[in-house]
Amino acid sequence: MIQFDHVCVTARDKLILSDINFTLNQGDKAVLCGKSGSGKSTLLKTLLGLYEVHSGSISCLGKPLTAASLHVIRSCAAYIGQEPMLGADEVRAALLLPFKFKAHRGRLPSEPEINQVLQRLQLPTSILKQACRHISGGEKQRIALARGLLLGKQLFLLDEVTSALDEECKQAVIQVFTDPQLTVLSISHDALWLEHSDLVYELKAGQLSQIKANEYTRY
Amino acid sequence: MNTLDIEFPQLLLTYLLCLLPGTLLWLIGLRLSRDIAISILRMSLQLVLVGVYLKTLFDVNNPALTGLWILLMLLIADFSILKRAGLKPRYFGLATLIAVASSILFSTLYLVVLVIQPPHYYDARYIIPIAGMILGNSMQGNVIALERFYSALRKNENEYTTYLLLGATRWEAVKPYFQDAVKAALNPSIANMATMGLVSLPGMMTGQILGGSEPWTAVKYQLAIMICIFTSTSMACVINLKLSLNIAFNAFDVLQDKVIAQAKS
Repeated sequence: MIQFDHVCVTARDKLILSDINFTLNQGDKAVLCGKSGSGKSTLLKTLLGLYEVHSGSISCLGKPLTAASLHVIRSCAAYIGQEPMLGADEVRAALLLPFKFKAHRGRLPSEPEINQVLQRLQLPTSILKQACRHISGGEKQRIALARGLLLGKQLFLLDEVTSALDEECKQAVIQVFTDPQLTVLSISHDALWLEHSDLVYELKAGQLSQIKANEYTRY
Repeated sequence: MNTLDIEFPQLLLTYLLCLLPGTLLWLIGLRLSRDIAISILRMSLQLVLVGVYLKTLFDVNNPALTGLWILLMLLIADFSILKRAGLKPRYFGLATLIAVASSILFSTLYLVVLVIQPPHYYDARYIIPIAGMILGNSMQGNVIALERFYSALRKNENEYTTYLLLGATRWEAVKPYFQDAVKAALNPSIANMATMGLVSLPGMMTGQILGGSEPWTAVKYQLAIMICIFTSTSMACVINLKLSLNIAFNAFDVLQDKVIAQAKS
């Protein structure tokens, strides 16, 4: 599904990612570990075209990542950061925000679909009426996840998405991603999350290497 | 009615008036005398030069010379807009020039050719002051539009990126900031029109009345020029921002740092 081939990324003349090679097949659940500043978030954002590739190439669904094919990756991937921006005043409006854009217009989810996704993520339907500024960080993360699920995204790029969740909610999120159709590339230092992942990569000073989950040391 | 000329000794009296604010500011501890003196000196020198130049321009009344003067005004405005908006002229110079020039020329020619209809539409006595007034006001609007738009994008980079990653096109993602910026740029013009004549007597109208025109003629000129200023500012801001979108972003819709001249807080 995704292939990084000798990818180097520089930002403000500083090398952030150096010779990154890895392949992610559909259904893979991969985790990136590494110290703060090692380039984990940059790697996810590079995949979405937010950082320019200095050398090497990235391909998604068999197509090289270029300005012309950017919409392919952006339409199949959902990126959820540690503090997701919901982009609307009310939760319902935030959830339905992407359906205002041309790319998703006319695909508005039904009420039962919305309720089902909320339930899977342990969110009450009453949250729909709440103001985004009044909900917790963990709820924001799950609303952003719900938005990705409602959009039918196949690839989830998750940056510390369980950081603000309690055990019960974390289990619910992990359960959602057991779906073999969903591919996950996440940044996490959470032991439970790592346990449920097939591949664990470590980024050290911009270089990527595959490690075993039990080799992981807490950062 | 002929305008009473101000004789040179009388003009000196107005300079003497500056002693009053100068003393007041000195008394409250503000040491601005140097800045004030430089500003007054610059204003005097610039206006004397413009006076000499305009007199020559009006006497010669050559369309090519008038055009050259307008081009010079546009170039100065172009650099001034970008400098004050914190953007690099190297990248945005041409886009801003196209936006401002097209809107100013359109409004000026519309007003002169269709509305005022002087014997010769290239008459410098009409073209230059009208283009100058419209340009002066439009400049302010363009500074606000560009500055607001790019500082809002930088401040809300996370939100803008979220829109993109949720499937928005570049235009869909920048649209809220674009609308806010144009609104902010036009607000002074709209407020100005709404209070015109109530809060202040506009400069052009006052000038015309002092120059010997009938108040009713002055009112009609003022109405026409205000509508042209508004039209021109709206056109210039929208065209300018639209053109700038093709320069400020890379092919992946990311705002490029290199186009910003200075960090805006």
